[in-house]
Amino acid sequence: MTHETVFHAILSLAIQGTLITFVYALAALGLAVVFGLIGVINMAHGAMITLGAYFTWACLSAGLPFGLAVLVAVAGVGLVGLIVEHALIRHFYDKPFETLLLTWGLFLILTELIKIAFGSDIRTIPTPLPSAIAFLGFHIPEYEALVALLSAALLGAIGLVFYKTSYGIKIRALTQNREVAGLLGLNVAATYKIVFVAGAMLAGLAGALMSPILSIDPTIGNIYLVRSFFVVIVGGIGQLLGGTLAGSFLIGGSQTIFGAFSSQVIAQTIVFALAIVVLRFRPTGVFKEK
Amino acid sequence: MSNTRPVPPMPRISLRSESAAAIVVFAVLALLPLMMGGYVIYVLPQYLIYGVLAMSLGMLWGYAGILSFGQAAFFALGAYAMGLAMKAGFGAGDGYLGLLAAIVVGAGLAFLVGYFLFSAGVRDIYFVLITLALSIMVQQIAISQSSLTGGFNGMYIPRMDLALGPLGRVSLAHDRAIYYLVLPVTVAIYAGLRRLTRSDFGKVLVGIRENEGRTLSLGFDTSWYKTIAFTISGAVACFAGALYGAHAEFVSPSLASVAFSTEVVIWVAIGGRQSLLGALLGGLGVAALSNYLDGLSPVFWQLILGGIFVAVIIAFKGGIAGALGRLVARKDDAHG
Repeated sequence: MTHETVFHAILSLAIQGTLITFVYALAALGLAVVFGLIGVINMAHGAMITLGAYFTWACLSAGLPFGLAVLVAVAGVGLVGLIVEHALIRHFYDKPFETLLLTWGLFLILTELIKIAFGSDIRTIPTPLPSAIAFLGFHIPEYEALVALLSAALLGAIGLVFYKTSYGIKIRALTQNREVAGLLGLNVAATYKIVFVAGAMLAGLAGALMSPILSIDPTIGNIYLVRSFFVVIVGGIGQLLGGTLAGSFLIGGSQTIFGAFSSQVIAQTIVFALAIVVLRFRPTGVFKEK
Repeated sequence: MSNTRPVPPMPRISLRSESAAAIVVFAVLALLPLMMGGYVIYVLPQYLIYGVLAMSLGMLWGYAGILSFGQAAFFALGAYAMGLAMKAGFGAGDGYLGLLAAIVVGAGLAFLVGYFLFSAGVRDIYFVLITLALSIMVQQIAISQSSLTGGFNGMYIPRMDLALGPLGRVSLAHDRAIYYLVLPVTVAIYAGLRRLTRSDFGKVLVGIRENEGRTLSLGFDTSWYKTIAFTISGAVACFAGALYGAHAEFVSPSLASVAFSTEVVIWVAIGGRQSLLGALLGGLGVAALSNYLDGLSPVFWQLILGGIFVAVIIAFKGGIAGALGRLVARKDDAHG
């Protein structure tokens, strides 16, 4: 191999790795927000991603333009999150294990409702931006680049909300001390509701934006539940933005590298195994300072 | 979160009434092939095996308080172990080799995973998601290693013979023959697990479930106890998988799927997580009902099952066994 081909291969991996990092971050963000802020692991996260993809598909079939379809999907999944939070989840915030089982039941119910409403056949959505960007001799799919940009913008926007607005600072106070945050005049119940619904909307958005990249079936979200969980854990739970991004980079990046030497399936398995090892030795995340 | 309140102990089913119920259930099951034949006798061993799988989780979840979403991984590994042993061509001992390999593989993997995680204090939701990942990993390996496992299409497994040494060989090809192999094995595993849960070891597990910190400070090495509990659970689940492979004569990667892992949790939740008989009957009953209703309306039944699961979590923590136990306890009270 000449130096040029080695350079070319490394650059190719870097581009793939960057794209996958932002896609994983997008998929994990909803889980990270709910887990990081209110300590609930939403086991229905994967089903919510799937639902977002199906809502997008349904809107496109009804003739809506792609952008509008994404917005409808986000609102639709957000509404599902709101109903579920109000009817069930809010009564169980002080019992994390029950919440886990409840959201798992919700995952089952959502998956079956998806099958009833949309069938089990594989659906595909044509890419809204079919062309590719030529870059240093590579062709980067325009749509995937756009998704990566949107994901980065979303991380930035959430960062602004949490670190620059007074409401965001109050929400962060809530994660550190619920009683004191309540005493400071924060409506704890409403905040929990907002955070859970925001997490659902983010899952819906991830499903909607990823829908043209995936072939949609009622179980596509399953793998994203575990993957997103590992992203959040490897990155570090408390660090909402940096953690999610770092975790996505480590999970997505290592998957890209292993994928270059073996099949995607093997790469996925190796990455899960590595994530378990990381979780064992650094339960608070790779970059968590003491 | 730090604000986990200790869970109040659930009403326990009186031991005497569970033993009586178990004797009745097993007696009926033993007599059934004398009265019926056909499909029921063909399919019942499969549900009994599901019941054994459910008990492997019932012991772990109900007594030690450890929820695993990875029981399907062990079950699938056991079925593949049986398939590979039958393919290996060692002659008369193939089936035994498969069953033995399943126990060794299940116990070994569960011990490694358990020790690795519990010794670092990994627990609760973290353990749930890691075991869920374990199922996904086993499924993906089974799909990708197609030269060994048959990939997506699965693997045909010839049914084992029961070689009885000088007494010759018993063919298990007949439905009644394999029925009368699976039933006593199920009874033995039930009896063994029950003995275990009532032993000193079982009491320590309950102590861990109720308050791990206190149990630790009483001098018990809790991570070790949890590792052993998970090892036994993995061995039982994997052994059940090998029996399943022998009975179904087929294994495919869907046996390790998230969907099947989930089903096991549902069986145990509905049957009653603090009663081994509840778990056994949950596995047997829900699987039988699923099979029947799946034929009528598959998606709606799965939806209803999800609804029942949520209802159990919200309102009937003890499942059916817990509800019955409360009923019996109330009656006992009324009679003084």
